[in-house]
Amino acid sequence: MNFLSGYIYYIGAFGLVLIGLFIILLKSNLVKVIIGINILDTGVNLFLISVGYLDRGTAPIFAPGVQIEASSMVDPVPQALVLTAIVIGASVLALALSLTIKLYGHYGTLNLEDIRGQRW
Amino acid sequence: MKDLRSPRGIIALVLLAVIAAGLSLTITEIPFGSPDTKVGSYYVENGREETGAANIVTSVVTGYRALDTLGEVTVLFIAAMGLSAVLAIEKKKRKREVEESSLVLSTGCRALFPFILLLGAYLFIHGHLTPGGGFQGGAVIGSAFLLVYLGYPERRISTTGTDVTESLGGLAFVILGLIGFAVGSSYFLSNFLPKGELYSLFSAGILPLIYIAIGLKVGAEFGGIIDRMMEETR
Amino acid sequence: MVNPAFLLAVPLGLAFIVPLLKFLAPKIPKFIPPLALLFNVVVSALLIPEASEEPVVSSIGGFSPPFAINLVAGPVGVLLSAFIALIGLLVAIYSFDYIREGAEEKYYALLLLFLTGATGVALTGDIFNLFVFFEILCISSYSLVAYLGDRSGVEASVKYLIQGTVGSSFLLLGIGLLYGQFGTLNMADIASRIEATGSTSIFIPLVLMITGLGVEGAIFPLNAWLPDAHSSAPSSISAVLSGVAIGIGIYGVARVVFTVFGAEPVFQLLAIIGLLTVLVGELSAFSQDDIKRLLAYSSIGQMGLIVFGLGIATPAGVTGGLFQLLSHGLAKALLFLTVGYMIYRSGSMKISGLRGMSKVTPVASFGFAIGAFSLVGLPPFMGFPSKLMVIRAALAKEELLFLVLVAFVLLGTVIEGSYFLRIVQVLYFKNRESDSKGGYHLLPLSGLIPICLLIVLLVIIGVYPGLISNFLSSAASELLDRTGYITAVMG
Repeated sequence: MNFLSGYIYYIGAFGLVLIGLFIILLKSNLVKVIIGINILDTGVNLFLISVGYLDRGTAPIFAPGVQIEASSMVDPVPQALVLTAIVIGASVLALALSLTIKLYGHYGTLNLEDIRGQRW
Repeated sequence: MKDLRSPRGIIALVLLAVIAAGLSLTITEIPFGSPDTKVGSYYVENGREETGAANIVTSVVTGYRALDTLGEVTVLFIAAMGLSAVLAIEKKKRKREVEESSLVLSTGCRALFPFILLLGAYLFIHGHLTPGGGFQGGAVIGSAFLLVYLGYPERRISTTGTDVTESLGGLAFVILGLIGFAVGSSYFLSNFLPKGELYSLFSAGILPLIYIAIGLKVGAEFGGIIDRMMEETR
Repeated sequence: MVNPAFLLAVPLGLAFIVPLLKFLAPKIPKFIPPLALLFNVVVSALLIPEASEEPVVSSIGGFSPPFAINLVAGPVGVLLSAFIALIGLLVAIYSFDYIREGAEEKYYALLLLFLTGATGVALTGDIFNLFVFFEILCISSYSLVAYLGDRSGVEASVKYLIQGTVGSSFLLLGIGLLYGQFGTLNMADIASRIEATGSTSIFIPLVLMITGLGVEGAIFPLNAWLPDAHSSAPSSISAVLSGVAIGIGIYGVARVVFTVFGAEPVFQLLAIIGLLTVLVGELSAFSQDDIKRLLAYSSIGQMGLIVFGLGIATPAGVTGGLFQLLSHGLAKALLFLTVGYMIYRSGSMKISGLRGMSKVTPVASFGFAIGAFSLVGLPPFMGFPSKLMVIRAALAKEELLFLVLVAFVLLGTVIEGSYFLRIVQVLYFKNRESDSKGGYHLLPLSGLIPICLLIVLLVIIGVYPGLISNFLSSAASELLDRTGYITAVMG
């Protein structure tokens, strides 16, 4: 049980990654695929954050008048990485949605199987 | 939904199983709760003296790893521009009936808008002292604009204004990085302003300036993105 | 000493103000990218003498690695950034007359940012920074493929986006796993720790990162997006995509495999994957009628050849792979630029529609022929010494596996030769049925300059490969020499 309680974050993050991949591979509605991409990104970000956790650690912010040991802080680097990754994920999402709008205007459907203007 | 027994379904399931197996093998290598942090502990120990910020995440994001932040700002800029380039081609003038929002909603939005802007500005100005920063503050400002669209569906922000703010914000970041060369440092993005007194507002050199530039830029960008998408779907 | 950070800072800064300049004067935006790229070419050239001695390591922010991000301008980095800036410059000039619709200032800003992302990937020494610049590259390419907003462009861009984003997520996951194990993000630091521990659990992050970077590098089986994307984009964008983007993807794979991981068992696997890519690309190209799609499949085939050269993993092999990367980039850019103009004049994207175009567009057809011959590997063009180097390196390995692989590579070259020669024959020896545009047209000046310059480069380097082969071998040894890289960065 102790093992599980420690690793539940990793398992959860990998679970999200797998769910996201499942959606991307097997769903044919474009909006659902984009949601799947978002879930995949969320899973990876969750994994990155959990890597930095220190047992019983606190946020890496110093405040005047409060004594905080530097060694009791969680790792700040994954937080910086995830900050960047979230913004990049949001940018891709915005671009993908604008392309979806355009694609719907051209084809009238969001079904990826019907959107086959390109031959082999 | 694709039939799970079709060839593509089977390949997908096999692939997922392989990935799941591979990932589970790596879990044991990374103990949860006791990370092997050579770099992280250095930042926490020395961040205050070397960069002058009380929020160590800020000192990592805009001090030690500022180039990553510059790249991230660029990605958002590219997405905003790509979006406006793609959506700008035809303007179909379909005037759909837009429902007037109720009085409560529009008054509430008008009342809240300045406070949300204030919160966003507070977040990015105090990024080096409290949790928060440029992106968080910019996102809050973006949500303020979204609120305006909900309350007043006929209103639009001027996309010229957002474009100009975006570009100037990004330019300010790059110029802040280059000024360091002019004052004698030989590194890009070096912190050339005095670090000041810890915990005070005017401390940490260029870090708050970078965050202010980013905050304005991101706020303008989200506003522009929302505006263009609303325009397209009228 | 010039700081390599300028190679990134200046184009970024200029790209940010390009949309603003539209308000001042509508004509100005299109001149900014050529200026920025010219600056990059000059700075890269200035860095060459120093970089050949020892990589120029520049830390960002004044902190020292591994606590800061650092740029490593070694022979590989400087070579690639000069190459990227050169092709970018030529394509930007070509775009003056080629891009006439849409929001032009956004095109130029996106093009400049695309090239900056590629330069950043080539120069960085930190794996998360690699991810960020790689994303700049990818996202600007999604936008540029969809730039015209037409049916096939948007569709191709969406499919490219979905596959590219999954790849990037895998790359990020691999980076997270590496950070969790080693606690640092600096490439040299990770390399030294892997060397010290020799742990076998790095296999999973390695696979994830190769997959992520390989989507952009179009390695089999991750190349499904490429035929659509490169054929539906405007031709100037196809030129940079095929010439620069996929080359940088392969460079990313090479840097990760050689420098960071030093993973010897992977080399043979790379060679086999390279071969499969060659066969898939060339066989698919053979039966195409759409000219841009054919060129896109040919790019896949050529990437396979580069990966094969890298998989040989001897200095000669890696030098050959890098040489092939350059010669493909130049030749494919030439091919796409000429094809763009020929499509515009003939109104058709099919090979059958290009019959007799040599009489309508003589310079463009001549350029196409030169590019095709160089790609196939005929002397006296640049493709000949580069392909020869790869094949000789494979034979020098004296292993049965490589001899078999080389045989298949030569088969691929034969197939390539047959379809390219078929096109040249159509261009020159068939007659046009109806001359809708009448007479022959000379290219506009902005099209003439890049095409002629590329032809000249392909010929000069083909005849005197010694001009760059020394620099290429020091680039190859930088990739292969892990300890040298680690000492150069960490001291």
